[in-house]
Amino acid sequence: MSEIRQIAIYGKGGIGKSTTTQNLTAGLVEHGKKVMVVGCDPKADSTRLLLGGLAQKTVLDTIREEGEDIELDRIMKEGYGGTKCVESGGPEPGVGCAGRGIITSINMLENLGAYTDDLDYVFYDVLGDVVCGGFAMPIREGKAKEIYIVASGEMMALYAANNISKGIQRYARTGGVRLGGIICNSRNVDRELDLLRAFAKELGTKLLYFVPRDNIVQHAEINKKTVIEYRPDSNQAQEYRNLAQAVIENTDFVIPTPMTQERLEEILMEYGMMELADDYKI
Amino acid sequence: MAINLSNSNVGTRENRIGSITGYVGTLKDLAGQSECGTLKGCSRCFSQSSTCLSSCGLSQLAAIRDVAIIHHGPAGCSVSASSAYYMAKVMAKKRGVTSDTVYVGTDMNENDTIFGSTATLKEVILEVNKRYSPKAIFVSSACATGIIGEDIDSIVEEVRDKVGVPIVAVHCEGFKSRIWATGFDIADHAVLQEIVQPPREGVKTNKINFKNFFESARPEIIEMFKNFDLDPVFLYCNSSIEELSHLSESIATTCICGTLGNYLGNALEEKYGVPYVRSINQCGIKGFETWLREIGKVTNRSDKIEKYIEEQRAIYIPQIEEVKKELKGLTAVLGMGPGYTFEVSRVLDELGIKVVWALAWHYDKKYENGDVPPSMKYLLDNDIDFEASVADQQNYEVMNILNKYQPDMYLSRHPGSTVWAIKNGTPAVYVADEYMIFGYKHTLEFAKTIVDAIKNRSFEENLAKRTKLPYTDWWYKQNVDAFLEEAI
Repeated sequence: MSEIRQIAIYGKGGIGKSTTTQNLTAGLVEHGKKVMVVGCDPKADSTRLLLGGLAQKTVLDTIREEGEDIELDRIMKEGYGGTKCVESGGPEPGVGCAGRGIITSINMLENLGAYTDDLDYVFYDVLGDVVCGGFAMPIREGKAKEIYIVASGEMMALYAANNISKGIQRYARTGGVRLGGIICNSRNVDRELDLLRAFAKELGTKLLYFVPRDNIVQHAEINKKTVIEYRPDSNQAQEYRNLAQAVIENTDFVIPTPMTQERLEEILMEYGMMELADDYKI
Repeated sequence: MAINLSNSNVGTRENRIGSITGYVGTLKDLAGQSECGTLKGCSRCFSQSSTCLSSCGLSQLAAIRDVAIIHHGPAGCSVSASSAYYMAKVMAKKRGVTSDTVYVGTDMNENDTIFGSTATLKEVILEVNKRYSPKAIFVSSACATGIIGEDIDSIVEEVRDKVGVPIVAVHCEGFKSRIWATGFDIADHAVLQEIVQPPREGVKTNKINFKNFFESARPEIIEMFKNFDLDPVFLYCNSSIEELSHLSESIATTCICGTLGNYLGNALEEKYGVPYVRSINQCGIKGFETWLREIGKVTNRSDKIEKYIEEQRAIYIPQIEEVKKELKGLTAVLGMGPGYTFEVSRVLDELGIKVVWALAWHYDKKYENGDVPPSMKYLLDNDIDFEASVADQQNYEVMNILNKYQPDMYLSRHPGSTVWAIKNGTPAVYVADEYMIFGYKHTLEFAKTIVDAIKNRSFEENLAKRTKLPYTDWWYKQNVDAFLEEAI
């Protein structure tokens, strides 16, 4: 039996990490893969599309209310296509320590034996930027070995991606964690594909897949479903299947080479500007 | 630097007054660099010891009578509660008063760390208030609460009206500073913020604030001050909240140790105009006289003080001169907090003992008013120089120095430190009591103690013969600064 591929998804807040992860998961399920998704965000909305709503209690709420002597099925629910769904959870905004929460809940999952041999993939969907050690937990101590960064052509998304790469580089030196590539969740900005390719190249990695923008994603989200479940025949569903295929086939794992702020801005200047007419008005 | 009492957070000594914990050189170089502003502290690539500023700060506050200390953090952080209790009870008993001070920890656990536990903290404060009726409540953070940003200040504000006694947030995150004396400043800041009240109108007093550790010479000092019509208020050991609330009305503030008294003294002067007596401290003849004369100057009592000095000199100076004959030419190494190291060095010089190396557990480049500490200034003005280092009780450095210099004695104010010297065969004098070298009388006793220590050496010799120290010959051959990293 092959080793579980443990994958962490990082990226700027609001870039579409959870949406991409769940749709990618749905694509993998269609390939017959067994997948577990671990939401590492206090909002606990990383499995909403797979479960058809915010349907489960988080690991941390369960520990708080019931103590540490709990069974795995109290914190793990089965979602679309037999996926195993877990939400780490965390404190209310502005209090406590969400980072510590992730550390505690991932340790709890390990102790409860959540990483069963029948799994092919485990995804960690991590909140925003790697702001502290807690948010790096999924890539520490030999957990996720593969990382994908979700980005777009917007400057702050690339800035965050570069910053996350610094965190990956830190842990790559001592552990086996590697960057598998950039997934572009398109925002339709100027020359986005070229920009992302150039950015990925500079990081020493590749643009794994370019997911085009499509409003059907929004419709599916409102209906608490992945696109693959909501409109299996749509073009966008095929895009996510292609993304899943790209992940399955990916063998290029690198230690990223994060760039300086100056170099990042050079790339943006080179690729990120269309020749605009000067009479642009809002 | 202006003291900002509107914010519950106090800057660290490193930030406020450029304090350092790593240096090896000479006294002159240390002071010269302090004055011209080039002094930078070195860090160590190997550190053998340190302590937490919170135990320093909170034990000060716990020594106040009938208050509550609420330490908001994991149980281990409140470990100093037991020693704080012990010390407070012993000191109260010694003075013949009672203290019902309580020290309570909130026993923060993993869940509290993740989700925050200000609700629990609020309950604990109200319960402590109900159960023990303290005269004031100090609510302290710990490292964990500091990292997760527990909003202690807001909770204190929320319960202020409900508890009906002064309540103040104390920010004691240990990681803030390597210098445990920052804890003294944190305690002073809390007292100044909420306990000390503006002076009452029309109140005239002859009180002088006396910041010390354990008021062990209290009766003697009260008697002495009667000669000058001054009434000392000892802080904080056994202080009452009522006493502390009127510190702003006193006619001056003085202290036994500049490291301990610097923040409170300067703040009371800056905020309420209470003069802070800035002089070398009361240790030794020169120190005692300089200190008394400075008090005479700021309280307008110079005549009475000169009379007292004259009387006392007649009694003690001949006796001290007699003992000095036995001390002449001896060599000493000493390791103490910076307040005492440079004061005791001065006294040793006065007694004819040559200081070959002085270690200060930290070093304050300047005091709160921007001046170089008076003890340093005195040594420089009198052209006294010796090798000096700053080491936060790094015992391996002490042992290296003792082995290189083979001094006739080692002096320290910290008990563990002298034990190591004794195991090394070096006679040691434990300057435990803060008043051990106070004034003429105790300077004489101190000189006699040194004579005793160097004459009765069989204990050190026998213990050294039977003790195998953990340090290798290799280490003793290294320079003292071998593990010091270049200052950045």
